[in-house]
Amino acid sequence: MRLIPLTFSGLLLPLLLSPVATKAGGAAPKYAVADLPAALRENAHAVVRRQDELLTVKSVSRTVETVHRATTILDEAGSRWAAELVYYSQLNHINYFRGAVYDANGRQLRQLRGQDIRDISLSDGFSLATDARGRVADLSQPTYPYTVEFEYEVVSDNPLFYSTWQPQPVEQLSVEQATFRVMMPAGMALRYQESHLPAGTTPAALGAGAYAWEVHNLAAREEEPDGPSVAELTPAVFTAPAQFEVEGHAGQLNSWADLSRWTYELNAGRAELPPALVAGMQALVLGETDERARIRKVYKFLQANTRYISVQLGLGGWQTFPAASVATNGYGDCKALTNYCQALLGAAGIRSHAALVRAGSDEQDIRTDFPSSQFNHVVLCVPLTQAARADTVWLECTSQTNPFGYMGGFTGNRHALLLLPEGGRLIATPRYGAAENRRERQADVFLDAGGNATATLRTLRTGLEYDAVAGLPGLELSEQKKYISNRLALPNFTLTKVAFQPLPATAAVPGLRETLALTLPALAPPSGKRVFLTPNLLSRLPTPAATVGERQSEVWLDHAFTQLDTVRLHLPASLQPEQLPAPVRLSTPFGTYSSQLLALPDGTIRYVRRLEMPRTRFPRTDYPAYLEFRRKVATADKMQLVLLKTDA
Amino acid sequence: MIAPLLRRLLLAGFCAGAVVLEARAQTAPIKFGKIDEADLTSQNFGADSAAAAVVLCDYGISRFDYAEKGFRVLFERTTRVKILKKSGYDYATVRVPLYHKEGREEKITSLKGFTYNLVNGQVVKEKLDSDAIFKEESTPNINVRKFTLPNVREGSVVEYTYTVASEFTFNFQDWTFQSDIPVRWSEYRAAIPEYFDYKMLMQGYEPLAVQERNDGLTQYTIRWSSSITPGGNGGREAGGVAVVTPTVTNYRWAMKDVPALREEPYMTTADDYVAKIDFELAGVKMPEQPYQMVAGSWTKIDMELLQDDNFGGQLNRGGFLKDQLAPLLAKTTDPTAQVAAIHELVRRSVKHNGNNGLMATSSVRRAYDQKAGSAADVNLLLIAALREAGFQANPVVLSTRAHGRLQTSVPLLSRFNYVLAHVQLPGGQQMLVDATEELAPCGMLPHRCLNGQGRLIMPKSQDSRWVELKTDDRLTSYRQVNLTLDETGSLKGKVHQEHAGYLGFNQREKLRKLGEKKYMEELATDHEGWSIAKYDFKERETLNKPLTLDYEFASSGGEAPVSIIYLNPLRDFGAGKNPFLHEDRRFPVDFGTRLDETVLVNLTLPAGYELEEMPKGMVLDLPDGGGRFTYGVQPGPAGLQIVSRLALSKPVYSAEEYAYLREFFGRLIAKQSERLVIKKKV
Repeated sequence: MRLIPLTFSGLLLPLLLSPVATKAGGAAPKYAVADLPAALRENAHAVVRRQDELLTVKSVSRTVETVHRATTILDEAGSRWAAELVYYSQLNHINYFRGAVYDANGRQLRQLRGQDIRDISLSDGFSLATDARGRVADLSQPTYPYTVEFEYEVVSDNPLFYSTWQPQPVEQLSVEQATFRVMMPAGMALRYQESHLPAGTTPAALGAGAYAWEVHNLAAREEEPDGPSVAELTPAVFTAPAQFEVEGHAGQLNSWADLSRWTYELNAGRAELPPALVAGMQALVLGETDERARIRKVYKFLQANTRYISVQLGLGGWQTFPAASVATNGYGDCKALTNYCQALLGAAGIRSHAALVRAGSDEQDIRTDFPSSQFNHVVLCVPLTQAARADTVWLECTSQTNPFGYMGGFTGNRHALLLLPEGGRLIATPRYGAAENRRERQADVFLDAGGNATATLRTLRTGLEYDAVAGLPGLELSEQKKYISNRLALPNFTLTKVAFQPLPATAAVPGLRETLALTLPALAPPSGKRVFLTPNLLSRLPTPAATVGERQSEVWLDHAFTQLDTVRLHLPASLQPEQLPAPVRLSTPFGTYSSQLLALPDGTIRYVRRLEMPRTRFPRTDYPAYLEFRRKVATADKMQLVLLKTDA
Repeated sequence: MIAPLLRRLLLAGFCAGAVVLEARAQTAPIKFGKIDEADLTSQNFGADSAAAAVVLCDYGISRFDYAEKGFRVLFERTTRVKILKKSGYDYATVRVPLYHKEGREEKITSLKGFTYNLVNGQVVKEKLDSDAIFKEESTPNINVRKFTLPNVREGSVVEYTYTVASEFTFNFQDWTFQSDIPVRWSEYRAAIPEYFDYKMLMQGYEPLAVQERNDGLTQYTIRWSSSITPGGNGGREAGGVAVVTPTVTNYRWAMKDVPALREEPYMTTADDYVAKIDFELAGVKMPEQPYQMVAGSWTKIDMELLQDDNFGGQLNRGGFLKDQLAPLLAKTTDPTAQVAAIHELVRRSVKHNGNNGLMATSSVRRAYDQKAGSAADVNLLLIAALREAGFQANPVVLSTRAHGRLQTSVPLLSRFNYVLAHVQLPGGQQMLVDATEELAPCGMLPHRCLNGQGRLIMPKSQDSRWVELKTDDRLTSYRQVNLTLDETGSLKGKVHQEHAGYLGFNQREKLRKLGEKKYMEELATDHEGWSIAKYDFKERETLNKPLTLDYEFASSGGEAPVSIIYLNPLRDFGAGKNPFLHEDRRFPVDFGTRLDETVLVNLTLPAGYELEEMPKGMVLDLPDGGGRFTYGVQPGPAGLQIVSRLALSKPVYSAEEYAYLREFFGRLIAKQSERLVIKKKV
């Protein structure tokens, strides 16, 4: 599946500015590094000296964002802050873009000139057409530290999006001073939500539609493994309109229902299909009484007859092509394909609703308590009417291969906004737990007296474990081999067979069976009288990185999974196990683990391993116990089997 | 005085009609709009069933016509593709790059496309909609026209045709026969009138099925309107018509059943391996005029570069550095040390912005003031600085690895994309110097430059010559590990490691990016169960010395003493995984540099324990002295000493050597994973 921006708005990207002087040439030094408090240099690659953002709402249909930011770059790793990209498009225009660079003493080295600014296409690489463009300037210097200053102003005719102010979005960046102001016109209210503002920060309404926030001296943070990202822990103010108008389409935004209704109306009346296709859909489901099966047939038709082509121009980033156009061309973007699928289902007598989501495997869920445009994708939600209890089929309409009803790591486990004429609500997309996200592997290893081996590996992956391999069967054999070889944790091998078999479409969660055959030269070369072998060939859980100092943040284990491994070792007569290691059993709130070796009557040795990790979050004080669990698992996973040569 | 006809040809008046007498035209291999219905079924595609799509036919023809502003190249292309899998849908979306410059642009016309599907046994043909054609400004000189065909499904056949008209005769369309999907038939024809002289460069590993050329005649009608030339010698000139009938050479090349080309590790660029033919305009010979070289000879290219204000014009403009240079030169009289000092000055004064470059962006002075610039800005400044200091420094121009192999037999300026410095030292010694990498010592070439030969451009043209872009620097690592084992199997280690050459450079880069603390965290993560108590980096800044790291680690064993301990002493210090996972390879393995890796382990056993058996030594050689692995074992005072040494002595191994290389790594990894059996003495 591909990334599908609903909007490619860039508005989820950085944003605003504020007006501050720039013509500093010859003036008094600014931003001298000597003025910087030592605490802000600690652990930081760069320091935001000053960041002033101003959002001026001109009217329901226009906003102006003004940003002024000065950043001291302390070392090479901070030099990404020496460049700035300002986004623009058909609906967003750059008023000005200025910059200057200062040495460590705060003396201006030079100002940004027009010829230093590059104008680039922000073509995302998969869109057939997009109007997203950017102006880029880079003020990197060869010696550290130095300070860059950028000022820019963007006028937007798409006020569906207001600014997000977050001066410390990533780790190893500290902030000396940052302000955020919003100016609203008479009669228009600002909606905002604050997050992690330091105590005592007064988001003072200055009266007459003016708002201001300010933070000082935020020390650099460090991201910790299995924890929240820095962006979720640092001060932020999210803003949104209460009323807006985009290209003549006016809307309210005081609730999720408002946003739902506006989006619904923007896309309404685009569902008409050619009569022949309507008849075709009716014929397709004729005689099929099972509701799920009817939906599946229509979805299968969609997947066989359309493909995803992204076109994001102006309002087209939010408004779908008519269904008739998809019927003619056989392609569309996420909005168009979802609208088309909805129309096909309608023709087959099945009611469904489009639902906005923020898609992406790394995306956090939307802020559910702050109704605002936080989405980048749309899927289809089909409520089942005949089911004994309320049930829903979710359809990803942009993929030709996505299993029926499956919302994987791209769209699953988050909130979606139903689009309804009367105004829809947020509902949860499917979540898959340890029982669904499984990897079951059966291995047969045939070892010869010289320490060489052959093996067959049969692996079933389901649920989110399946996501990573979903595309494999579609690749050419040589590409499949490349992919698999790069991921097998074996030092030296040759793949002799690769085969795939998907689970039937009726399975509760999708899955793929993979069968591999390998030769493993010198897997276990004899060392003197003995041969050493780690029976857990492939499933070693890595030990987590050793942490320095005390754990600062909560521990988030967001991905639940189960691993089951069975390895049969077929030994030559000349090898006998010296002694079998004792079984290991661990049961903790962080996960359960067992592994054990057994000599079977037929002379083979069987290794069985089971690891189940739940989806869980726990306080930072439990982190050492969690590490201890992981360490024990890692040790057990490396357990070694010693075989004695009986003929030596 | 310019011959009248030539003036018409070059300046031309108004409208022009061209009549091309196609001499003995071959039948085209494809007729747009007429497909073979059998291609809509799967029966023809057994052999390619693993492919996402197959190019059934790709046919292009380039010829000249005469238009308002002079000669144009007309390039017509017709392509037909069978879509076999959903993963092949992308082949129904097409990008056509169009060059433009100074208000003139290449134009695409006659764009048509169809998708064919078999629906209930009937062929359904659907047209490309003009709504599905988009334009994207890609780079300053290239706009891309993008289109996608309708109703593409598994089994569809798509085809499209278009014509590109170009006034830029130097930008003659190249042709690529090979793709990342199989190609059944790929054919290119070019009809080139005698006025234009193109160099044609064929490359790749696939044979031609057709290679033909024959000569014919063609005819162009030149029309011009009346004009007034101002000035004393000017006057009014009448409009008119002329007909020219030059000889035209008709070329035809074709390849049949071309396999797909795929990226492999250790390649320079796939572009070096793909089957293709490139055209470069060498010269123009208009009627009644002498031959006019456009490209031509290396000597001419040398001269052009030297005369160019953004190249040769920069080489002697280092005067502004006088004050900075004087103290550096005063410090030492050793020329090598002086060069190194100047290299450091430039390296620290101008930050490389990551771009390659042959010509200065504007001037070396401006790059110095801006403190940032392309590779050309940095290295032309370096040459200027060296010259200012009295050194004999000259530019070496080259093609980087990603830019592709340079063929010294074909003199083309466009094949260069990079410049660095050559210094002739007083004692006869020569150096290649590049100042784009902040962490590379003087004399080390960036890995991107290790690509065959470069051209040394001397002030006197006859002195210019080719130089090997090779390096004495290797990927070098030396590690001395003192391991102490206790009776529970716990290990304590003291490691002294030195990374030199390209490895030293890579590790300095990594260290700069991560910082010491994160660098060590990563190192600890790579070695399961390690905790690192202390560490100390040395020579971080002394780039011509190995980057040195001393650290101590511990890894815990069992809880109680055991009578037998199994230990793999090289587990954490060996090669790890065979880098050559794939069974075979069609292309050379191009590392760029040689490699040298030594690990010396001194193992101290717990008191009262002994080795059950001494491991055996090993020597493994690659054919033709291509490399060697040695594994030596010696008893030590309280244990033993192991020396494991790996040397790869060639930067490039041929495809034929691949199997040996793979086997070599397989065996050395097996040796390095051997375990020692350590027993309590009885």
